[in-house]
Amino acid sequence: MKASGHRVIGSSGEVNVSRFPIVIVLVAVGLLCSCSKKTQPTSELHVTIKTDPKTLNPLMAEEDASDRIRYLTGGVLIRVNRKEQENQGELAESWNVDEGGRRITFNLRPGVKFSDGSDFSADDVVATVKAALDPSLHSPKGDPLRAGGKADVRALDRNSVVIKFEHPIAGIERLFDEIAISPAHMAGKADSSVVLGPFSVAEQRAGEYVLLKRNPYYWKKDSAGHQLPYLDAIRMYVLSNRDTELIRFRQGDIHLIDALPPDLYEQLHSEDPGAARDLGPSVESEQFWFNEVAKAPLPPYKKAWFRSRNFRRAISTAINRADLARVAFRGHATPSVGLVSPANKFWFDRNLKSIPYDTGAALDLLKQDGFTKTGATLKDRNGNPVTFSLITNAGNKPRERMGSLIQQDLQQIGITVNFVPLDFPSIAERIMKTYDYDACMLGLTNVDLDPNGQVNVWMSSADLHQWNPAQKTPETLWEEQIDKYLRAQASTLDRKQRKADFDKVQEIAADEDPMLYLVDKNALVAVSPKVKNADPVVLTPQTYWNAEYLSLEK
Amino acid sequence: MRTLRIIGRHLLIILITALVGGLLGATLVRLAPGFGIQESDLNAQLSTEARRALHQDDAGERNVISYYGHYLGSLIHGDLGYSRSMERPVSELFRDRLPETVESVAIGVAGGWLLGLALAIPASWKRAPVYSAGATLISGVVLCIPSAVLALIFLVVGSPGKLAIALVVFPKVFRFSRNLLVKTYTMPHVLTARARGLSSARIFGWHVLPNIAAPMLALAGVTVSIAFAAAIPVEVVCDSPGLGQLAWKAALSRDVPLLVNLTLVIAIVTVAANSFSELLSPAATRDVI
Repeated sequence: MKASGHRVIGSSGEVNVSRFPIVIVLVAVGLLCSCSKKTQPTSELHVTIKTDPKTLNPLMAEEDASDRIRYLTGGVLIRVNRKEQENQGELAESWNVDEGGRRITFNLRPGVKFSDGSDFSADDVVATVKAALDPSLHSPKGDPLRAGGKADVRALDRNSVVIKFEHPIAGIERLFDEIAISPAHMAGKADSSVVLGPFSVAEQRAGEYVLLKRNPYYWKKDSAGHQLPYLDAIRMYVLSNRDTELIRFRQGDIHLIDALPPDLYEQLHSEDPGAARDLGPSVESEQFWFNEVAKAPLPPYKKAWFRSRNFRRAISTAINRADLARVAFRGHATPSVGLVSPANKFWFDRNLKSIPYDTGAALDLLKQDGFTKTGATLKDRNGNPVTFSLITNAGNKPRERMGSLIQQDLQQIGITVNFVPLDFPSIAERIMKTYDYDACMLGLTNVDLDPNGQVNVWMSSADLHQWNPAQKTPETLWEEQIDKYLRAQASTLDRKQRKADFDKVQEIAADEDPMLYLVDKNALVAVSPKVKNADPVVLTPQTYWNAEYLSLEK
Repeated sequence: MRTLRIIGRHLLIILITALVGGLLGATLVRLAPGFGIQESDLNAQLSTEARRALHQDDAGERNVISYYGHYLGSLIHGDLGYSRSMERPVSELFRDRLPETVESVAIGVAGGWLLGLALAIPASWKRAPVYSAGATLISGVVLCIPSAVLALIFLVVGSPGKLAIALVVFPKVFRFSRNLLVKTYTMPHVLTARARGLSSARIFGWHVLPNIAAPMLALAGVTVSIAFAAAIPVEVVCDSPGLGQLAWKAALSRDVPLLVNLTLVIAIVTVAANSFSELLSPAATRDVI
């Protein structure tokens, strides 16, 4: 009755109700179209940062986003060349380290201007270095320099600066790669808008992007004498979702991606092999360690296991690192041999041997400590079945896959591993405050190639000496030895001697296995074919370390 | 006078709910594992002194009651506090991100209602079983998909993720309004109007709409709350710089000042939307009667 009534009304032409939804759909389509993206000029490179930068003050840059902006905007005295891994002069044409590493003298490049056209001079260097050293500023960039004690920073003339420290700092030159020089009147409170680097910060929209524009007064020129940089601007989109990042790369909206996760790399490689590049081992490794803290709330028998060299080495030997690299990282990782990755060209100890996967050898080591395998269960000399929990941060797919593989590997020698992914603050609380955990798997990034960058982890007194932090005096002989060699390498300017001392550290660490290095992740990047002169490297920023030379095809 | 009393009562409920919600939010974050931990704590490049310096502001947040009292005192003067994880005043973060979320919620609510009504009105008129079953199936399927997955689908096809909020709102609008319309169209006065040969537009405008206005207004308030809640996962998945994404980041970094303010905002929006519906519903109903 009603249906027929409706048909009559519809056919009479009074109101055609069936068109009403179409109108609504058209409105919806209009809404959708209104959300379309704006077009950008072609000489604007698009990259991503994972979070909003916490600061634009280059001296206060600590986390990745701020540090990438500092790298692209900051003019530095000495640059660690990301490809060659050697120091090269930038604002300093030359430098000299003397007085046993306590004094460094810089001869500055003449005729350099800031991005606002004002002249650069020694006064700017003095003011910036003094700000970095100011204890009240708590500058993360000045922190390593403050290890030299009191410092006297003076301009000798308009183009030379001398800095004299109370104590020597080994490898001091590389620390100036982190100190972006600001105009004297902005030192300590600079915002990267007036800079000496190739780009300056032009605009920031929270949660969306940071726009860097070309520095028209940048001092560097290419081999043909053309003014650098070639690009007009770099837009750094804030994107924390890696899937979104790849989708936008495919759409041509993002030009370069650093540190692609293996799964996304594989996806991209299958669609566009030319865009996806595997650069080999990076300086980022994955490792796990046992809790050896004396006051940890663990049963005494577990503490005894974890403090045993044989136990740690047995676990290390029972883990199939090649499988971790092949399965967890889809083949885009390399089994680790020690605390330094082979990507660190100079400091990697080539005498270290790879750790063989050998369950028989693992059981032999465990037997030496009184462990016995009864059926499918390994028990200690008091009959306690060997079982421990392994925590890691949730949401990291390769790490979660590694956890499952380690579970399976250790099951082969009768050990039960309870694998527990947790959110990051929960993990950090356990490993740094409560010590309520058995073993932890994380990845540490050694962004500083120099051994001094490892001191906060490997010195027994360090807070980040994860397996047993902040020891008043070294609790083991081998930790005492490591402390000794770390101090020795830090107290000489002789690079060969430093290398020999640090090799000793690497060898002791490999022998005692307090930190089980599992794999060195490969550096996986995406480079759009539109980007010219791209020459990705394993060090950060992998794809745009040479940003001043990059350009876009029109 | 009675109306003023009712409005006053609702405002009091909003205020109390927001204050209790804020305190609960602060307490939960304080008790959450990992409170007081920062990512920089594991930065091997920083010295112990530098890491300690970064924790100087944590101390004031350890006692929740004292922190909350201090926070409310500052709030009266317009100071929302400082976000440790974002290194910015909370008021600045809100100012930057509120428009994005308002836009997302507005698009979500408008889109959800458009789509819901577009399917519900013909379903109630036509009574065609296939159409009705099809529309019900679509809304049922959409209802079963988590908002984050909907956002991911939009992301993959390259459409704005905020439209996913519309799909979250749509099934609620469709089901509620279709049932309401079907019921209203069978009411005696509507049947009489049809029998008298009135046009369907006139029947809808004069006889159906006044009857459904009150419950629809109540639903409007609820859909604002639904859209606001859906904005959190959608903004996270789509990397939209709104309050939802901010809430997610604040929770992960145990950022007490940020989370307390966000809890207050969410509580106020939710309770205010529902109160608004409640306040308007009796008036609309009276008019119809």
